[in-house]
Amino acid sequence: MVKVVCDSTADIPQEVIDRLNITIVPINVLFGNEVYRDRIDITPEQFYKRLVESKVFPTTSAQSPGYFAELFTSMSKQTDEILLILFSSKISATYESAIQAKSMVGDICKIEIVDSLQTIGALGLVVMRAAEAAKDGAGLAELTDQVKDWCSRAHAYMVFDTLEYLLKGGRIGRAQALLGGLLKITPVLTLRDGIVTPVQRTRSRSQGIETLVNLVKSANKIEGLMIEHASTPDDLELLASKIAEFYPKENIIRSVVSPVIGTHVGPHVLSVSFIEGK
Amino acid sequence: MKQANSWNGKDLRDMFAAGSGWLEKSVAEINAINVFPVPDGDTGTNMLLTLRSVIEEADRASDTSTAVMAKAMSHGALLGARGNSGVILSQIFRGLSKGLDGKETFNGADWAKALAQAAKTAREGLSNPVEGTILTVIRDVSNAALKYAEKNPEDLLGIMEAVVKEAKESVARTPNLLPVLMEAGVVDAGGQGLYILLDGATRYLKGELEELQYKKPQMVSANITAARNVNIVPEEEEEAYGYCTNFLLEGDNLDPEKIRRKLEGKGLSLVVAGDETAVRVHIHTFDPGSILAYATSLGSLHQIQIQNMDDQHIGFKEMQRQKALPADIAVVAVAFGDGMIKVFESLGAVVVKGGQTMNPSVKEILDVVESLNVGKVIILPNNKNIILTAAQIKELTDKKVEMVPSKTIPQGITALLSFNYENSIEENVRVMSEAIKSVKSIEITTAARSTQLNGIKIKQGQAIGIIDDSELVACGDDVTGVLMESLEKGGVASAELVTLYYGADTTPEQAEQSAQTLKEKYPGKQIEVVRGGQPHYFYIVSLE
Repeated sequence: MVKVVCDSTADIPQEVIDRLNITIVPINVLFGNEVYRDRIDITPEQFYKRLVESKVFPTTSAQSPGYFAELFTSMSKQTDEILLILFSSKISATYESAIQAKSMVGDICKIEIVDSLQTIGALGLVVMRAAEAAKDGAGLAELTDQVKDWCSRAHAYMVFDTLEYLLKGGRIGRAQALLGGLLKITPVLTLRDGIVTPVQRTRSRSQGIETLVNLVKSANKIEGLMIEHASTPDDLELLASKIAEFYPKENIIRSVVSPVIGTHVGPHVLSVSFIEGK
Repeated sequence: MKQANSWNGKDLRDMFAAGSGWLEKSVAEINAINVFPVPDGDTGTNMLLTLRSVIEEADRASDTSTAVMAKAMSHGALLGARGNSGVILSQIFRGLSKGLDGKETFNGADWAKALAQAAKTAREGLSNPVEGTILTVIRDVSNAALKYAEKNPEDLLGIMEAVVKEAKESVARTPNLLPVLMEAGVVDAGGQGLYILLDGATRYLKGELEELQYKKPQMVSANITAARNVNIVPEEEEEAYGYCTNFLLEGDNLDPEKIRRKLEGKGLSLVVAGDETAVRVHIHTFDPGSILAYATSLGSLHQIQIQNMDDQHIGFKEMQRQKALPADIAVVAVAFGDGMIKVFESLGAVVVKGGQTMNPSVKEILDVVESLNVGKVIILPNNKNIILTAAQIKELTDKKVEMVPSKTIPQGITALLSFNYENSIEENVRVMSEAIKSVKSIEITTAARSTQLNGIKIKQGQAIGIIDDSELVACGDDVTGVLMESLEKGGVASAELVTLYYGADTTPEQAEQSAQTLKEKYPGKQIEVVRGGQPHYFYIVSLE
């Protein structure tokens, strides 16, 4: 059976990880010289509390080739097919690390590595679907093609309070165009081609939430949906209730944005991710 | 100074330990120039953390043979690699280890070969190698090492000196190769780090232990003069180029020198090369005809190419411009007041000056539309008296022009905000027109004459409040009072966001005072005060 691996920014709920037996590669968050492995050494709750209180601005760092090489070697003892689905290579070196690790370990087993060009729920939904398909017996080659297709139809939209974190973390991408305005803006951003891209400028958080709802509403057909927050559970419930007006309530997956992404988006981010139908 | 001609694993470890210590002193400077591939300011930190792991593993190595030590260091790099620069650094150590495989000791020639292997491994490891980075620097460095080692295979110290010299020059050249560095006016941070690492290692080999302890590494700065020659958009005023003329002349007893003298002064960038039977000519000239006529008199012409360089030039400029624009659709907005114009411009619109008392002409709007480098334009008239004017533009240009009928400035701003970078012009017009409905506009101005409207008696010169540019709702001598009454009637209670754009006749203090009054009366509302600088209107307010 194909073993599915992804990184910790996929924000997959723990019970799903356990049920589908997904392997999670932790990405590092650093406060100064203190290194924390995402969700192993620090929980999102602890992280966002510290993000607000700490004077030290956190940074993030990709997982090393050595980590992946060891992972591949140990996994190869249990499976001969590994599928890695990783967050956008445009915002992290993790994908490069995995590629190098693959060339290092040689032919110990079949390994496919997909650059999802996505992150958070958009990545999570794809990984969950891939793990389901793997469980149903999909082969590695077939599954890899499917995953690429799903990635191209996955979207993650986020409402921001401020672009400060994106700017400090150096990942502002095309949202640079939004800086320097004279009005206070609540932007809605997404990852397009793996790069942070502006979608809509709104004037308030409620307008931003409304925009997220409209983006879901105007999607062709929804094949899986996840909503996430960082430190604003009430807003998450508000978003859920608005989406539930036209989308089955029980199919809404709730999660918390990974500290790794939180470092770059701030403690008030709110997001909706979905895979759009063909 | 180390005098030996052959070195072992301990030497290898110690030189890189010294290099790491040297790099540690420059971490902040290296972080500061980090713009590629992600400007997150951590290249120095990442390289240092990776190197620490290298040295830790080296200290744990089972013996001091070169091969065992190099392998341990490579393992340490792989485990500790952080960020892009760390990952590439780990590949460099992996290459070094491959190159030194099986060696008990190593000499200069071995070291040069190992560096070449490092450059190769680093490059092969990447799915998309980019020039102007640490990759370029390690390649240049390894070439310099191989060249030096050819003549002096035993002289490791000499090789390292050649390596450091080349590293410095290669780093200075990185902005020539990577436009994003050129733009930022910096050298590649990873390359800088590699240079400092090698510099520190070499200083150690030379026995400069005091310098290593008390001095700080010197950062390489960008060789911008050399860099200026490439990638710069030509100025508008640059003289015309004429025709790039290129041909092969065949004949007997041709004299390239004579041809060159004859053609000199007839154009620029002249190249004449060849022998008695064939001469290649290249020249930029305004009169290709006379050049060809002269050449035909000497023999037969082949492979004639004449290109109008003004076309090429325009094509290039066009390309540069398009790169700068995020979308292929422009928004033209009519606005007045210096602050208001800035608000529109900061949101990406091109502004035509005009408004209530000075409606712009069709020609004024049309000229702006025509001057834009995009084929699709959305116009925001922002005044009901300008809607008709703006509607005519569509018929007068080849460009695709649509109008979103915004009647007030707040409507225009709301429409502009909802402009979506990725949507088609049709979709944008639909969304922007829809967005207009979500905002209420309130204008506080002065009555031009005494009259009675909506059952309200107005004296000339009094302040009046108008909702959505159509309904007069308040009148009085006190501007703030009229503002409050108008806001109330405009439904401020149900609004979430109130933006006060204060005019040229209102002071910032007065505006703040009004905002304060509003905050006290309606706690919990988001209230923003923005200088509009508009004449005639004390306030223009948007309720959302």
